[in-house]
Amino acid sequence: MAKLMIPTPLRQFVDGRDTVEVEASTVGEALDKLTSQHTELRRHLFSEEGKLRSFVNVYMNDEDIRYLERDKTAIAEGDTISIVPSIAGGKHVG
Amino acid sequence: MVEHARGTYPNECCGAMLGKTEDGAKVVRVGVPMQNAHEGSQAAMYVLRNEDLLAADAEARKRGLDLIGIYHSHPDCDAYFSDTDLKNSCPWYSFVVISIKQGEFDHANSWLPDPDQTKADKEELDYGEADG
Repeated sequence: MAKLMIPTPLRQFVDGRDTVEVEASTVGEALDKLTSQHTELRRHLFSEEGKLRSFVNVYMNDEDIRYLERDKTAIAEGDTISIVPSIAGGKHVG
Repeated sequence: MVEHARGTYPNECCGAMLGKTEDGAKVVRVGVPMQNAHEGSQAAMYVLRNEDLLAADAEARKRGLDLIGIYHSHPDCDAYFSDTDLKNSCPWYSFVVISIKQGEFDHANSWLPDPDQTKADKEELDYGEADG
């Protein structure tokens, strides 16, 4: 069982819940199940090509899955998956 | 947040805003200062660490609040939403930009980017006396 932490602005797509639990053995499977059960959420996380949007990062516990085994990262009981956006900016133009 | 922006002047500051949505309005209860992780000059650029954002979200949950937005400063220029802001934004959050001129608070604006990062709508922002 994987526990997914839902960022505040996306809770409206999961019946207002702040966490969702799904049966999954990998992070990719967990995200697939989450967005299959809550289809409106899918376009906020994935592009039309089915890839995670450029600003979306996924963490398992405190680790970015890009430094683990990406969507094949295995989930153990009690693991927590978080969705974290990349954010930067500044007055610099161009 | 303004103190943070004054403190990092002439560089840009950045942080998260924790609060609640009340009667359709996002109300900021806590500003969480974060380190600007941009490795070059920070006078015109900021980068938030994902780990800091993750910790801010955990802090919000612990306090019974929500992570509702991000803030940063524009030293010696207006609080517009630049192309750099837009291209590196996330449509999930409100982005407050604080204009600091000659080291002092001048004004602030709040922006809500669209999902395709092509434009940001200006939100109504009530910041009272902006004393912190």
